[in-house]
Amino acid sequence: MSGRPPDCDVAVIGGGPAGLTAALRLATAGLSVVIVDEQPELGGQYYRRPSPAMLARGVDHRPAGGRLIAAARAAGVDCRTGTSVWGVDDDGRTLLTCPVLGPATAGTLKGRYVVVATGAYERLVPFPGWDLPGVTTAGFAQHLAAADGVAVGQRVLLAGSGPFLLPVACSLLELGVSVVGIAEAGTPYRISARGARTAARFPARLAELAGYAARLARGRVPVWQDRVVARADADETGQRVGSVTLAATSEPGRPLVTLGVDTLCVGLGFRPQSELSRLLGCAVRPDPGSGEMVPFADAAGRSGQPDLYLAGEAAGIGGARRAMADGEVVAAAILAREGAAGSPGNPKALARRQARRQRFADALTTIYPADGELARGLAVRLPDEARVCRCEVVTAGQIRAAAAAVGSPADPGAVRALTRAGMGPCQGRECLATVAALCQAPDKAAADGRVAESHAITRMPVRPVPLAAVAALSVSQSPPSHGSGQVIS
Amino acid sequence: MTARITVDGAALTAQRGATLAAALIAAGRWSLRVHPLTGQPRGPLCGMGVCLECEVTVDGREGTRACLIHVVDGMRVRTGGGSGS
Repeated sequence: MSGRPPDCDVAVIGGGPAGLTAALRLATAGLSVVIVDEQPELGGQYYRRPSPAMLARGVDHRPAGGRLIAAARAAGVDCRTGTSVWGVDDDGRTLLTCPVLGPATAGTLKGRYVVVATGAYERLVPFPGWDLPGVTTAGFAQHLAAADGVAVGQRVLLAGSGPFLLPVACSLLELGVSVVGIAEAGTPYRISARGARTAARFPARLAELAGYAARLARGRVPVWQDRVVARADADETGQRVGSVTLAATSEPGRPLVTLGVDTLCVGLGFRPQSELSRLLGCAVRPDPGSGEMVPFADAAGRSGQPDLYLAGEAAGIGGARRAMADGEVVAAAILAREGAAGSPGNPKALARRQARRQRFADALTTIYPADGELARGLAVRLPDEARVCRCEVVTAGQIRAAAAAVGSPADPGAVRALTRAGMGPCQGRECLATVAALCQAPDKAAADGRVAESHAITRMPVRPVPLAAVAALSVSQSPPSHGSGQVIS
Repeated sequence: MTARITVDGAALTAQRGATLAAALIAAGRWSLRVHPLTGQPRGPLCGMGVCLECEVTVDGREGTRACLIHVVDGMRVRTGGGSGS
């Protein structure tokens, strides 16, 4: 299959701010561009576009996303929504696809260039009861409010860390929801002199945060700092979360207060969606902000694999604005290689914009706790009964026992094989970082966690695909290359 | 602009074009499947396709993530499946 002719000049995986921006520039310059995205609408999680029927009802929280999508379509970008990329063929380049809905058919897509713009997802740390219905990510609450006008619950507690919890709480207030409170694991709002100086360099974004804070104050929403979720318990039906117990961040095992809720929304920052990058052979590196392993790309988005580029949060968290700057930079790099006529933009100016937007993301880490470190600290303090792997139902105690059995430091791969943690349908996206943390002695977790996590092997399918669809495809039996052995420190 | 769908055989009126997971939650349906090992209910977690907790059967196709599709008239939804994928 390695001789398969390309279907297009550029295959872009992910139609969020980074992918759309790159696709628009590339198509405008005359290249044939295909975007695949498994969401029903383009825009990614940042723009989260409502369906046309909802738009007709006047639901549109970020119209700029609609304009960007319209521009990309007008430039001739072939937009394939509702399409999952679940694997990579043995040529290491051809993407294996499947529609999210409808007939179970598989397809392929090969571009002369591939741009991975898969974005990010929310980091969660398990706690007892996190698998109850009614426990969701903060992002889900935001999507429901913004794209569907639906309140995630009537009595909602938000918990985790980072600035994102604030706008989510505001969206819920707009829908008339009773927001019980925000439990922030750090102490960002007892702002240090250093934090204040840093924040003052970004007055517009500071004003945005201040606006959220004012709205929360008007809504009498308490913001508790240095608080984490110790556990969640079901309501009287046993079918949904009914109460949440909070504890101090430094002592998550000592309950402080229990609050009645019908929904708990959690989020400890974001991490790149990296499975496809790894399948395509990208090396990984420790992310300076979180300590977690993320796919490697240089400032121009080059992955180290020929003709494979990363754009936006697929290669590290930096926000939607930096992601768009990344999209411009990657498009310019590809166009430069194509010797395209017309200026793809001043490379130095593009790089300066990219750097400034990254500095804002970095500035947040001086105000909020480093979310990856925070997550690891909570993981090692988990009670034994906490279900870490939701899919295979493996507890922290079972993982600790397996880790002790395989030796110190425990190889997370061996622990996975013994316990099946991280081997369920979600492919470990929700639990593997926690499993890696539990494989270390608590005092060594910070130092060794990153190395342990690099052993996480990515296997196909990285998205669910019906067996009938796989069978219909003549995929080679040889295992695809992956980047799990390559670590750049 | 409403759509008439069926959920486990019962008629449900939902917003046309709403995310299916949103329509189910708006109707008070949080338990979308039963975990095959524990027998306990599971509901939507991530809302963006990565956790697979909201898998339901839609028009006969099992393992469809309710957070990734829009409601259309006549859609037939079955909940309560165990995730076998």
